[in-house]
Amino acid sequence: MSKDSHDLPGAGRRNFLKGVTLTGAAALTPAMMAQAQPPEKPAARPVPLPNIAAETLPPRADPVIQTSSGGDFMVDVLKTLDIDYLAMNCASSFRGLHEAVVNYGMNVKPEILTCPHEEIAVSMAQGYAKIEGKPMAVICHGTVGLQHASMALYNAWCDRVPVYLMIGNILDGDKRAPGVEWTHSAIDPAALVRDFVKWDDQPASLQHFAESAVRAYKVATTPPMAPVLLSLDAELQENPIPDRDRLRIPKYTKVVPPVADSGAIAEAAKLLVAAQNPVLICDRMARTPAGMARLVELAEALQCAVVDQGGRMNFPSRHPLNQTFRRLALVGEADVILAIEMNDLFGAVNAFSDRIERSTRPLYKPGTKIVTLGSRDLYLKANYQDFGRFNEVDLAIAGDGEASLPALTEAVKRLVSADHKSAFEARGKRLGQAHLATREKSKSDATIGWDASPISVARMCMELYAQIKDEDWSLVGSSINLSWPKRLWNMDRSYRWNGYSGGAGIGYNAPASAGAALANKGHGRISVAIQGDGDLMFVPSTLWTAAHHRIPILYMVQNNRAYHQEYMYLHAMAARHGRGISNAHIGTTLTNPNVDYAAMAKSFGVYAEGPITDPKDLGPAIKRAVAVLKRGEPALIDVITDPR
Amino acid sequence: MNFINGALAIALLVLCNAAWSQSAPAGDAADGKRAYLADGCFICHGRAGQGGAMNYPAPPLAQMGYSAEVLKTILRAGLNDMPAYAEAVLSDKDVADIHAYLRVLPGRRDAKDIPLLNQ
Repeated sequence: MSKDSHDLPGAGRRNFLKGVTLTGAAALTPAMMAQAQPPEKPAARPVPLPNIAAETLPPRADPVIQTSSGGDFMVDVLKTLDIDYLAMNCASSFRGLHEAVVNYGMNVKPEILTCPHEEIAVSMAQGYAKIEGKPMAVICHGTVGLQHASMALYNAWCDRVPVYLMIGNILDGDKRAPGVEWTHSAIDPAALVRDFVKWDDQPASLQHFAESAVRAYKVATTPPMAPVLLSLDAELQENPIPDRDRLRIPKYTKVVPPVADSGAIAEAAKLLVAAQNPVLICDRMARTPAGMARLVELAEALQCAVVDQGGRMNFPSRHPLNQTFRRLALVGEADVILAIEMNDLFGAVNAFSDRIERSTRPLYKPGTKIVTLGSRDLYLKANYQDFGRFNEVDLAIAGDGEASLPALTEAVKRLVSADHKSAFEARGKRLGQAHLATREKSKSDATIGWDASPISVARMCMELYAQIKDEDWSLVGSSINLSWPKRLWNMDRSYRWNGYSGGAGIGYNAPASAGAALANKGHGRISVAIQGDGDLMFVPSTLWTAAHHRIPILYMVQNNRAYHQEYMYLHAMAARHGRGISNAHIGTTLTNPNVDYAAMAKSFGVYAEGPITDPKDLGPAIKRAVAVLKRGEPALIDVITDPR
Repeated sequence: MNFINGALAIALLVLCNAAWSQSAPAGDAADGKRAYLADGCFICHGRAGQGGAMNYPAPPLAQMGYSAEVLKTILRAGLNDMPAYAEAVLSDKDVADIHAYLRVLPGRRDAKDIPLLNQ
C-alpha cells in the first residue's frame, strides 16, 4: 500500500482496527487541529470548536475492497516456474500470498501442504526434490518461522538440494502494528541463514519480485544446487497492483549443467584405462535417473570397482562391480581413484581414530593417483565446515559429475584395446566374486539373533523387503548408519534410495521421507522409511501432515528407545575416563516411560500397529500396512529393535 | 588404526600377554550376560552379539573365535571406535565372564535355511 500523505499517523492499513481507527481519526480531527493551531493565549474557559472538517470535507478515502493484490501477481510468477507444492505453517507475515494461492491460484501449482512446524516444511521439500528433480516451495515467517526452519535448511544446504524458500516480513516500521508485528520483523531476515543459502533477495517492487523469483529458481537448480531465499514484504503481497500491464514475468531458462573440460576428461580416461586397480567413489552424483545408468556404463567399460557412499542412489546394489562394503581394502589397493561429487573425500580415503590423541592416516598407498570430478570446487562458503578436510589430489576436474560422465566414458572406450579388454574382464570377474562373497557374509551376519526379541534390525529390514520387493518401491529414509538394505536388498532404480540428510540434523528423516513419498505418489510408487525413534520425537506431527494430505508412506519405527549414536559415544567417553561404564543411558535413552508410537500415530489419523516385539508378528503387520499404502494412506509400525 | 593394522597389533599384544593366559580366570556365562548388558557391550555389538555400527562396523561377537586372552587384549587396548576398558571399569573376571557368555550365544545359522535372506 502506498501511504497517502494525507493519512493520519497510526491510520495505516496494517492496523488491525483499521476501520475503527479511521472513524476515530475523523472524530479526533478537531482536537488535533486545535493542537496544531494552539490559541495565542489561554482561554479562561475553553470554547469547543465546531467540527468543521467532519461537516464540510468529503469522506476520507478508505477502500475496504480491492480487486487485485500483489500476492496474485506472485502466484502468476510461481505458476510459470512449475512449482507443484508450497509447504508451510500459516503465519500473518505472508497472509497476503497465502490468500492469493488459495483463492486466486485455486490452490493448484502450487498446492499448499499444511505442516505443523517449519522444520517439517523444509525437510519435506528436501526429500521431495531428490525424488522429483525439482524444488518444492516453502514459506514461513521471516523471523520465528525461519528460526524454526533453519536446521532443516542447513541439512538441505549440506545435501546440495534446491529448496525454494520464501519468508514474510514487514519492512516499513510505519506500517507495523504495535507488538508482535515488530517482533516478527527484521531489516535483514535472511542474515540468519545466509551462510547456508546460495542466494537471497528482498524485492522492493512486484517487478523486482518477478525477476528475483525467476533468478532464485535458476540459481537453486544450477549445480551445485542449494536452497535460495526470497523475503517478501507484507505490503507488497497484500496491496492492490498499481499497474498490472507494466509488470512482466521473465522467461525461465534452465542452466545447462557444466560439463568438464575435454582435455581434463582425456587425461582422467588415460589414467583410468592404464590403472591396474582403479576405483570409482561417488556420493551425490546421480541427481537424475540418468546418473545411475551413466555410472554403470563407465564402470562396465573399465570393469572396475565402484564404492557408492550413498548420498544419492548412484549404483545398483547387486551389480557385481558394486564394492561399497569393501572400501577400506579397495582404497588400499587402488592405483587410481576417481572421486565423483564427493562431499567428504578425505573421510573416504583416510582412516580416523577417535581416541585421546586423535589421528588420521591415508588408506591409499603412496603414488596412488586421485582424480576428483564434481561441482563442489566451484562454490563453497567459509563459516560452516561442511566442505570437509582438504585432501591432496592429482587432477581436480570442475564440472557436474552426472553431466560429465558420458564424455568420460566415451574417452575411456576410445582408449580400451583388445589387451585391455581381456585384463578388464579378468578384473571384473574377480570383483564379481568378491561382491558375491560380501553378500553371502552379509546374509550370514543377518542370521545372528534372527529370532531374538528385541528384534534384530536385519530381521526387521528383511521382513519389510519381503512385503515390498514385488511392488514398485522406494526406500525414502533410514535410521543412522543403517546398512542392511544396501547389503541385502536389490536396489536397482534411481528412486530405490533417496540419500541422507546432508547435515545430520536430527528431525530430517520423518518429514523428508514424507516429501519424497509425496513425489513417489505421483509416479505410483510405494514409499517406505526406516524411521529412528529419536528422529521421530523431534517432528512427530509430520504424521498428521502425511495423513491430512494422504501421502502413502510406511514408517517402520526402529525403536531402540535411545539416541543411540550418542549412547555409544557417551559409553566410549565413560570408558576413556575410567569412571564407570554403566551410566551411559542417562540423557541418551528414551525410556521410563516408553513411547507408544502406534498410539501417537493413530492420534494423528495414521494407520498404525505395535509395539511389535515378536519377529514372527512383523510380516503380517507389514502386509496389512502395505495394503493401507495401496489405498493411498500412510501407515506406521512400531518395532522394538535391538540397537543397530 | 584400520582393521588390518588393528589385527596385527592385537596379534602382537596376544603374544605379549601369554603369561596372563596361564592364569586367566574361568568365565561364568550367567555373570557374563549380566556384565554384557549392564556394562553396555550390547550397545554396539547387539544383545545377540550380532554386531552393529558406530562410525566403523562393530563386528559380530556371538560364538567369537577369539580366546578370552585375545578378547581381554582387545578390550584393554581398544580398537577403532571402541574405547579401551581399564581394569577399574571392567575387571579381568568380567572379561572372562563376558567371553564365556559370547561362547554360549547361538551365533550364526545357515542363511540358506532362512528364505527371507534369499530374496
